[in-house]
Amino acid sequence: MQTSFIHCVRQGLVAGLAMLAISQNALAETRTIETLYGDVTVEGQPERVVTLYEGALDSAIAVGVQPVGAIITRGGQHVASYIREAAGDIAIVGAPGETNLEAVLALQPDLILATRQTSRDQYELLSQMAPTIVLDVPLFRQDTWKQELAGFARALGREGQANDVIARVGHRAEEVREQVTGSIPQQQRDTSLVRWMPQGPLVMSEGLFSATVLASAGFEVEDGGIVKEGRPHSQPLSQENLTLMDQEWIFLATINDDGREALDAARQSPAFKRLKAHSNDRVVPVDGHLWTSASGPLAALAILDDIENALSQQP
Amino acid sequence: MTDYACQRTPASRALVPPLPVAVFFVLAAALASLLWGAGPVGAVEALQVMTGQGSEEARFVVMELRLPRLATAMATGLALAIAGALLQALTRNPLAEPGLLGVSGGSAFAVTLAILLGASSATMTTLVAQAGALAGCALVMLATRSRGLAADPVRLVLAGATVTGLLLSLTSVMMLADQRAADEVRFWITGSIAGTSLADLVAVLPSMAVAGVLVVIVASPLAALSLGERAAMGLGHRPGRIRALVVVAVALLVGGATALAGPLVFAGLVVPFIARALAGPDIRKTLWLCLPIGPGMILVADTLARVIGAPAELPLGVITAMLGAPVLLIIVRSRRMPAL
Repeated sequence: MQTSFIHCVRQGLVAGLAMLAISQNALAETRTIETLYGDVTVEGQPERVVTLYEGALDSAIAVGVQPVGAIITRGGQHVASYIREAAGDIAIVGAPGETNLEAVLALQPDLILATRQTSRDQYELLSQMAPTIVLDVPLFRQDTWKQELAGFARALGREGQANDVIARVGHRAEEVREQVTGSIPQQQRDTSLVRWMPQGPLVMSEGLFSATVLASAGFEVEDGGIVKEGRPHSQPLSQENLTLMDQEWIFLATINDDGREALDAARQSPAFKRLKAHSNDRVVPVDGHLWTSASGPLAALAILDDIENALSQQP
Repeated sequence: MTDYACQRTPASRALVPPLPVAVFFVLAAALASLLWGAGPVGAVEALQVMTGQGSEEARFVVMELRLPRLATAMATGLALAIAGALLQALTRNPLAEPGLLGVSGGSAFAVTLAILLGASSATMTTLVAQAGALAGCALVMLATRSRGLAADPVRLVLAGATVTGLLLSLTSVMMLADQRAADEVRFWITGSIAGTSLADLVAVLPSMAVAGVLVVIVASPLAALSLGERAAMGLGHRPGRIRALVVVAVALLVGGATALAGPLVFAGLVVPFIARALAGPDIRKTLWLCLPIGPGMILVADTLARVIGAPAELPLGVITAMLGAPVLLIIVRSRRMPAL
């Protein structure tokens, strides 16, 4: 009740007062965010934000908030390289699924943005340090990142910026989509997203964040139905079953800095040589941290850049 | 050498019943590994390929994927079985197994270290794995010298498990330190022969051949050594030199197998156990029987790994462990521990 009252006051001020008045109001504002573990109240403009999820780091920076702490990207040494510069001098407080609680506490956070997978026990501990946001957003959907961005931005008091960012990504996706649809015939836009291991490929789910970005840019991502329910990230595949991932295009995620090296290694494999995408020269090596671990609007923009680059290198 | 040849004849003649059965087993296992896999190419199609028909896709799966695997599986199984039999005769311990005693662990540790230092698992030299295996062997020999260990087979295995645990944790530390290494090692460390090429096998063959020659040289003296050091010396053998040769042969074999397939446990335990059950304790007979049974066991395990895990594959190491662990329990629980 109190919240909605304040909300009304805020609405009135927005309507009647100058920009200065709005920002002053934001300082005293109290917001309630619906989370997986109940409603969480956040006051004013948080200044010491710790993100325990790559998508939260991305969202926070995208709406103009500089978090003080973050976790490393999956399989990396630091935050993913696409966001390294924007993240600046950020403290590392753990890895995905392995938060160093003492490091979080040492940062004296006033807001913690955590992953959907945060357990209740972990949540209880974190929320003793600062209001902790565990969004109840279904994962691996086309609009997961938008819902997450909206939720995190609301906690950060920057919903307006979030809408701008979503519009910007949409506009950029449309731009790339026009290039894709303009240069590639419709029946040649099917693609798979894989990591190549010597024992066989790891096929990424159609619902993976980068796959949804590929889809928004006009590609048709196929996982051949092999990524099972309840295992939504990826599925290893025997080399005998490569036909299941044999699409026109392959976006080949590598976690080495040098994607070429991984591509060369894959090309030595007789099974890889048989792939359609290989003979079409449509295998695109991409950064595995960005493409298989990250999410959020800035990641979407970086992925769209990668797609544009890949198109420009087509004969 | 002539003396050796004379001894061999009666030994192999006594083997006439089990050996053909074992050979039949390995042939059947080889055929099965060509007929079934993780993919849609089934037995009928695979048979068509073998008779020169079949689709291009089936031909690729059978000839380019399953056939190189068959060769790799056979080499791996052969090496581990022989190494296990040698190590058991040397330590006089039916539980001595390269995987359990830390020889494979040493090999895996060396390989991970090499990858961390910049080598790629694809280009990794067999030599690194063999050097690691040699270090592991040295640790085992050191352990057998400490009091009580030589007399009690189970305690030697405990010591080996400790060494293996230590090496594996050091390997994990290295994998944590370098994620690229982690990525390359992760699949390899559980043991797998998926995706190995014939080039990998060819790289290992020379050292396997050297090990083969060593085995021929030490087989007879090792049998004499089982009668006791004095008896062996009375027959003109030098125990110290025999042990050194055996250790080198084991290191070459285990290192080669580890370079091909990762650290596989229990294969070196199960195969000599079966061979001894069929042929008795004479190391020469055991070695003969290991030749078909070792490859056969790895072929069966690899075929199971593919069929159970479809459309992916289970790590081969998981299957060998599942087949091997019960055998270990049987040996340990049998009231009369077979002495070697």
